[in-house]
Amino acid sequence: MDTLLRLEDLTMHYKTKAGWVQAIDGVSFSLDRGQSLGLVGESGCGKTSIAMSIMRLLPYNAELVKGRILMDGHDLYALSDEEVRQLRWKEVAMIFQAAMNSLNPVYSVGNQIIEAIVTHEPETSEEEARDRAESLFELVGIPKERMDHYPHEYSGGMKQRAVIAMALACNPRLIIADEPTTALDVIVQDKILREIEDIRRKINMSMIYISHDVSVIAEVSDIVGVMYAGKLLELGPCCDVFKRPKNPYTYSLMRAYPSILGEKHDLATIPGEPPNLLDPPSGCRFHPRCDWATKECREVEPPWREIAEGHYLACHNPIKTQQVKSCMQQETAKGGEGIGASFGN
Amino acid sequence: MNELVPTHEIGPTSLAEPIWKIRWKLTKRSLRQNWEIFKESRIGILGIILIIAFGIFGAMWPVMINTVWDPMVYDPVVGFDPMIMHPSPPSASHLLGTDPIGRDILAQLMYSTGREFLLGVLSALITVVIGTAVGTAAAYYGGFIDTFFMRIADIILLFPFIPLLVVVGAMVKLSFLPFAIIMGVLGGFGGITIILKAQALSVSVRPYIDAARVAGGSDFHIIVSHIIPNVLPLSFLYMMFSVTSAILSEATLSFFGVLNIDMSWGMMIHTADVAGYLFDFAKYWWLWAPAGLAITLFCAAFYMVGRGLDEVVNPRLRKR
Amino acid sequence: MRRYVVGRLGQVILTLLIYITLVYFLLQAMPGDITMMYLSNPKIPQAAREELRTQLGLDQSLFMQYISYMKNFFKGELGVSFSQYPKPVWDILMERLPRTFVLFLTANVLSFYIGFVLGKVIAWRRGKAIDYAATVVGITFWTAFYPLLALVVIWIFAYNLKWLPLNQFIDPRLWSTAPFTANQVFGNMVYGAAIVGVGIFCIFYYLLRGLKPSRRSHVQAWSLTAALIAVALVFAQRKGILIYIWDITRHMILPVLTLTLINFAGTMLLMRDSMLETVQEDYVMAARAKGLPDRVVRDRYAARTALLPTVTSLVLSLASSMSGGMVTETMFSWPGLGQILFTAALSNDYPLATGALAFTGIFLLIAHFVADILYAVLDPRITYTGQSGV
Repeated sequence: MDTLLRLEDLTMHYKTKAGWVQAIDGVSFSLDRGQSLGLVGESGCGKTSIAMSIMRLLPYNAELVKGRILMDGHDLYALSDEEVRQLRWKEVAMIFQAAMNSLNPVYSVGNQIIEAIVTHEPETSEEEARDRAESLFELVGIPKERMDHYPHEYSGGMKQRAVIAMALACNPRLIIADEPTTALDVIVQDKILREIEDIRRKINMSMIYISHDVSVIAEVSDIVGVMYAGKLLELGPCCDVFKRPKNPYTYSLMRAYPSILGEKHDLATIPGEPPNLLDPPSGCRFHPRCDWATKECREVEPPWREIAEGHYLACHNPIKTQQVKSCMQQETAKGGEGIGASFGN
Repeated sequence: MNELVPTHEIGPTSLAEPIWKIRWKLTKRSLRQNWEIFKESRIGILGIILIIAFGIFGAMWPVMINTVWDPMVYDPVVGFDPMIMHPSPPSASHLLGTDPIGRDILAQLMYSTGREFLLGVLSALITVVIGTAVGTAAAYYGGFIDTFFMRIADIILLFPFIPLLVVVGAMVKLSFLPFAIIMGVLGGFGGITIILKAQALSVSVRPYIDAARVAGGSDFHIIVSHIIPNVLPLSFLYMMFSVTSAILSEATLSFFGVLNIDMSWGMMIHTADVAGYLFDFAKYWWLWAPAGLAITLFCAAFYMVGRGLDEVVNPRLRKR
Repeated sequence: MRRYVVGRLGQVILTLLIYITLVYFLLQAMPGDITMMYLSNPKIPQAAREELRTQLGLDQSLFMQYISYMKNFFKGELGVSFSQYPKPVWDILMERLPRTFVLFLTANVLSFYIGFVLGKVIAWRRGKAIDYAATVVGITFWTAFYPLLALVVIWIFAYNLKWLPLNQFIDPRLWSTAPFTANQVFGNMVYGAAIVGVGIFCIFYYLLRGLKPSRRSHVQAWSLTAALIAVALVFAQRKGILIYIWDITRHMILPVLTLTLINFAGTMLLMRDSMLETVQEDYVMAARAKGLPDRVVRDRYAARTALLPTVTSLVLSLASSMSGGMVTETMFSWPGLGQILFTAALSNDYPLATGALAFTGIFLLIAHFVADILYAVLDPRITYTGQSGV
């Protein structure tokens, strides 16, 4: 498979009054065409910052310290603003965290989709764009009569679908979905996730899912990246990472989520709080909250290494398989089908 | 919309300290935080500097008249310099010249400064006290009180202030104090009520108000010690804007000669106007420029402080 | 929509009644017996006085007087002016209302548009030099002393540069031989401008709707507009009034300029603040992500929603704009409502002052009403029942 997107040692800091916030630190991964990547981690660990870096939509106080983002082998940060503008939505589209608020309240929903099409395909007439928007509405399951309605006339689920339709408008090769379903109730959430997955397979598109919810990520991702405090701690095929987590943080994160069908177990909270990114801990950033931390963890930054085919890790003391047996059983019972299915392609 | 820094959130306290001491500490802390934010706004700081400058300028009046200046010559209302022709351009004895009746412009300017402060602050204070009380009561009690005061505000908003006051002023010459009170009262029942009511409404639905009610606090106690403190920052902000509008109205009405005020910046320009010196604008610049500049700068100063406060009160305006 | 308009109209009429009542009693409460004004006014002949006394109905109670005043008010009988005896107040006001209307409308539309555009631009460039400069200049104009500003404008443009006439409404030398009265020409001018304005609006509305109007329709729209204006001018020339229209227009420029300078900053500063809030909205970020050009994001996303609160405060500031208008009229001797109100007040002409004050109120009420409807049209979330949607 050919590589669509590649992040190389991406490091991005925010300048604030208090100092430099190290929001992303040395993140590397690559994404193939048609593949889906899930980024999981607690709030504020830099997931959204990665999405914004790929869109080149960082706030004015952000600074790319080092690293590159390659799209089809072209460095995104070497392009001019105008080139990037034309690239957006055409190549990389995005489903925003708060779909409710990502529609302009004073224009009809259909209008906002047509606008995206005619902006990027100047040769398309408005009527053609309208036809395409109608078929997109059908694809995501909104009656096309509602094209001319305003966002406030839509329900939450419908807005979410409309936002998905908007993301698909220009047939992008990559869609970044930032917490696409967090604001919805579980049933709608599941339905929408499945629909996105169906569409994605149909048109062989790449996808980056961003969520704090391990179960969502496990359900829809081919490969999973676990982030903590601006660093990628573990990255690998979904099945590998969640069945045999090597990083203690991955394990703790999984333990912190309940499983409905599996055995009951006490939810394990992770003690302490995420570190202050103004002054992150030395060595491994997770060491203050890690049960397995050693002197080495406190002093030396763990290197990013490949431990198996496509499975990367940054940890001095990876956990042994038997230590996570109980967790693994629960995971299999709960989401085994989902993991298997998504790993299949 | 307005997330204020709450002044009355009960923090970790030890019972050994009296409640007022804790409150004082909290107030001090929130003041310091707000100052930090205010400092960020260059416009606000510029306003503060201007106000301080005007304060010093105004405070120099009693000093000057009691030490350097001869009251016979430099009295702002009845003074007269018999030594020269009037109006005289700026000279060593009259730094900003004299007006057509032989009075010293600088002395008038200084004397008026204090009175403008008094007028602006007094009427703004009345506005804010009424606006806060009425707005809070309307928000807390709702129903008839709410409807009644809101309709009054609607009607007052409709009133063209200046024409109305010109008509009233032409018939009964308003003097300093009644004018300040009228401006204050009209302002207080007007638009500010609507804004402060909206703020009070957003405060009165917060959980700690219910908590206070459950704990048996009387309406009066809840309004005074829980709602009003949270409305005050916004009141203070609108007080700045009220000062501006009071001073501007006073100056305009004085200019048209419908106020019974012995001396003010507006009066100074009025004097020049009725004597016909404003037709030769550039030649007699000292007759209008100092007073005109003073009015504009003074009003702008309060307005700027208001804008600076706006960034404190309304965090969505802040730079992220 | 109709229910909304009717409901608002009802409120407007109620407010109007209360307003006129207040004005009436306010002037009644002024010191000095109203009959003394008549008796001591040398302009009123001896014979007319007794008749006036009975006409005034002073034998009746205050309440009855009020009732009859209100009755007459709605019949258009506002009494007779003292200072311009025996001209009826109604006639004087009707002559002046259009002039104030044109001045007020032109200046307000101009200042709102300028304020809107500037506010949009400086909010988009927040923290840059242009932002600080425009804010400081804006505050200076906003808090400027109106009469002085008017004097400065007159001094620069009329006295020093001699570009424009000093003040007044018309140039008497030109009009002494004119076959028309100023009011006739002014009326024609207003109607003509209204027709041309509606025409231009229609042209732009029909040719430039949609998201992506072609270059050709832009050219068409502008050339049609130019043609329309040319036709109107030729028509005026054929009628022989073009030169007089030009004279009135020349006299209008300075008052409009002054009023615009006074008012634009309010809109600009509000628009800036309002837009600083909307640029943080998610849909603005989404619009950027969509790869829309910067201008489109600014105009169609950030500015379009920021316009709504700005229109609200436009409604609130109409009254103060009217005050500014009155000062401007007086300073430029523009014979409108504000100027006559001022003259009437200074000469103790009670009927005229009451009438002018009442009409100022009516004028403002109508402006409020229009702005309210405009707001409802601009915001799709308003469902015309007075509540905003979810």
